[in-house]
Amino acid sequence: MGDEENVKEGDKKIVHIYPLVKHSDMKEEMRHEVVELSVSMCEKFSSNYELVAKMIKESMDKKFGIYWHVVVGEGFGFEVSYETENILYLFFGGNLAIVLWKCS
Amino acid sequence: MSAADPAKLPEDEARPCAGSAEEEAAMDELQLDENRGSKTKGEGGGGGGDADDFDAWMKSRQLVKPDDQLDLTEAELGEEVSKMLTPTNTNVQRNLVVYSFKEGEYVLAPLPGNTVTLISFPGNSLHVDSEEARRQVEESEEIGYPLPMPNYAVVEQRETVVEGEDEGEGEEDEKTDMDGKQTSAGDAGDEEEAEEEEDEEGKATEGEQATETGADDEERPGETQPATAAPSKKRKLINQFNYCERATLTYNNAKRSVDTQTIPPPRSSFGGNVLQWVIYDTYQEDYEATQKATSSQGDHKSRSSKKSYKKKTAMAEQLNRKYMRCWQILERMINQNIFDDIGNDYRYWEDPADEYRDGEGNLLPLWKFQYEKTKKMNVTEITFNPSYYDLFAVCFGSHDFLKQPNEGYLCLFTVKNPSYPDYIIQADCGVMCCDIHPHYPFLVVIGLYDGNVAVYDLRDGCKEAMYVSRGVKCKHGECVWQIKWGPDMADGEINFFSVSSDGCVFNWILMQNKLWVTTIITLYLENGITDGPDGTKVVLKSGGSCVQFHPTNQTVFLVGTECGLIYKCSTAFSSKYLMTYNAHYMSVYRIDFNRFDSNIFVSCSGDWRVKVWEDMRADPLFIFDLGSAVGDVKWAPYSSTVFAAVTNEGKVHVFDLNVNKYKPICVQAVVPKRKNKLTRLAFNEKLPFIVVGDEKGVTTSLKLSPNLRVMVKPPKKQLYLDQLTLQNAKLEKLLSLVRELPEGSVIPDAATTVRS
Repeated sequence: MGDEENVKEGDKKIVHIYPLVKHSDMKEEMRHEVVELSVSMCEKFSSNYELVAKMIKESMDKKFGIYWHVVVGEGFGFEVSYETENILYLFFGGNLAIVLWKCS
Repeated sequence: MSAADPAKLPEDEARPCAGSAEEEAAMDELQLDENRGSKTKGEGGGGGGDADDFDAWMKSRQLVKPDDQLDLTEAELGEEVSKMLTPTNTNVQRNLVVYSFKEGEYVLAPLPGNTVTLISFPGNSLHVDSEEARRQVEESEEIGYPLPMPNYAVVEQRETVVEGEDEGEGEEDEKTDMDGKQTSAGDAGDEEEAEEEEDEEGKATEGEQATETGADDEERPGETQPATAAPSKKRKLINQFNYCERATLTYNNAKRSVDTQTIPPPRSSFGGNVLQWVIYDTYQEDYEATQKATSSQGDHKSRSSKKSYKKKTAMAEQLNRKYMRCWQILERMINQNIFDDIGNDYRYWEDPADEYRDGEGNLLPLWKFQYEKTKKMNVTEITFNPSYYDLFAVCFGSHDFLKQPNEGYLCLFTVKNPSYPDYIIQADCGVMCCDIHPHYPFLVVIGLYDGNVAVYDLRDGCKEAMYVSRGVKCKHGECVWQIKWGPDMADGEINFFSVSSDGCVFNWILMQNKLWVTTIITLYLENGITDGPDGTKVVLKSGGSCVQFHPTNQTVFLVGTECGLIYKCSTAFSSKYLMTYNAHYMSVYRIDFNRFDSNIFVSCSGDWRVKVWEDMRADPLFIFDLGSAVGDVKWAPYSSTVFAAVTNEGKVHVFDLNVNKYKPICVQAVVPKRKNKLTRLAFNEKLPFIVVGDEKGVTTSLKLSPNLRVMVKPPKKQLYLDQLTLQNAKLEKLLSLVRELPEGSVIPDAATTVRS
């Protein structure tokens, strides 16, 4: 039993890096696409969050129409209003939060 | 003399024509004068003289003398006055000095010029021969500015008059000549100009002469045809006094503004804090959740929620039903309180008049049962519930082929509450018939116009059918005319029979989860084989219109057809008919077995007849003609000799063969003859009333008066005999009278139309 608990403790310390959608009201199809895009951008420019945000925003503008806003960071607070069905609050890489929303 | 003192000139020369504006102008400024003079002459010669010229000429007729003009005698006038003219201007002061500050002394001022400007008048007129004028003429020729037509004649006339006064012209000429001399005698500074002007003048005079000659030539034709004078000369030069502007203003299109505002896309707001521990916790939760989900089946959660939702709706429905039941009871109570007297009439009212009438009765209308949604439909069937005497089912559909409604209803009314049906079953086409199971009073089967059948369990509510026929093969091809529950099968399966216009009688068995259908009999016509397409043979079928089971022998049944035949068949075999009755000439509408003697049955038809038959006897025992199509006929449950029929005329006929073998004992119109027809009828099993249905969806209940339900009085010696035996005896006695006819002889169809 003790061993097992230890193992569990060990499990808990594993850093999860998979993309985790914390909040989103997007349609299923769109959400998948956006998550995929965000992940690929994060992996591509992992050292420069500013660039990540910029790249995500630009490609979102192209794909889903203009006026997208993207925040990428490890610690911040936000309070936004957005066009319904156009928000995604995503955790990625264990320490990164990405907020995308559309508002003209 | 110089131009410095021109004002004295007219006086000195004593010229009387001082009033002429032309000449004054000529004095004032030389060049202008030249221009004008030449112009007037040119125009005068060309025939284009304008109003100023004309006025000038008019004034010359009335000379105005100044008051201070000297009166000179002829001699004085003729006297020559010689004047010395010097080239020096005596009026100019030659010794003007100006103080010069530079040199500190007075110095002579420079001589002022000889020119004295008295009036400056910038001219707008153009000389005909000037560059500008030529250009304009060219342009006008190109573009074409013709003179307005009406002016031509006037101008011509005026011209001729002017031409007539040669003296005036001459004077003017002289004057200009003199001016020319004056100028030529002027200062050296003006010489060049003057030369030019002289040249011009010369030309002008030449032109004038030329035009004058031209005008003279034209004079004669000009008088006769003034309008046809050379058009090239009629062109006028354009200047600021002579032009014509034409413009039109077109309509401006009315302006209109249209705008719309779209609804902005909906917005929401969302906020949150991103902290490392928030991210960590979220990941942990999600991880645990996925772990749980994988360990226990994934869709467990959603299933439970669905279940709870179902539970809730079921509960709500149950509650609704509970309330529904309460309301029904309340409604019934209110109705019974309001219509207390009618409610009592069902049981207790007896028409006192019947005591004084022998062999006649009447019907008392009690309630009218109707349902809002079935107001325009026909009543297609009425059946009393075998267990609850007050409950009866009414089917609503249409007998009219062309006016089939898109919905049909089965309503179960109770005589205890006439205002609203207790149960309502809706179908998507007309409900043509129904039957209530004798042993399970909650089981109702309905036959639809589209050939389908459906079984309803009234306990489960009336929304969904327990069984519905499905598929093309598992249904009738045409309208189902009558449907009857059959006796339970050997292994207890509930089943029913249906007959349809497609000529088939089906047996439907209620299986565990579906209806099992078997064909009992197909109503082939005898000798009914005709040629079909491509040499095939087609066996004709007759459409069934009604079916009735033998009360005692449940395997035997009668089928009425649309050809007017009645077939006696058995459920045991389908190969042949037990008996064929040539009953009617038109479709048999209904057949009913006598309640006491199952060998006796009655049939009604569209050929106005009602016939009473005995089993296996090819000829009817009684024939009655009711004067219009008979929709339904039923034996009374209380008497062996009483039956009632309803007709299209809206009348109910009640017969008691024991009382009158030839006439109905009661004929009563229940609905208006023209507007409405009666379609169906049913006797209540327990109480002495009938219900009749009509074409307007109304079901009326009618109380039978005592004379219509006369019971048999047992003979004094046999008081122990019960009513059943007595009724049978009564019928037997009656039938024996009819049966006495010799075997084989035909009863003459001598019934006459019954008149009420």
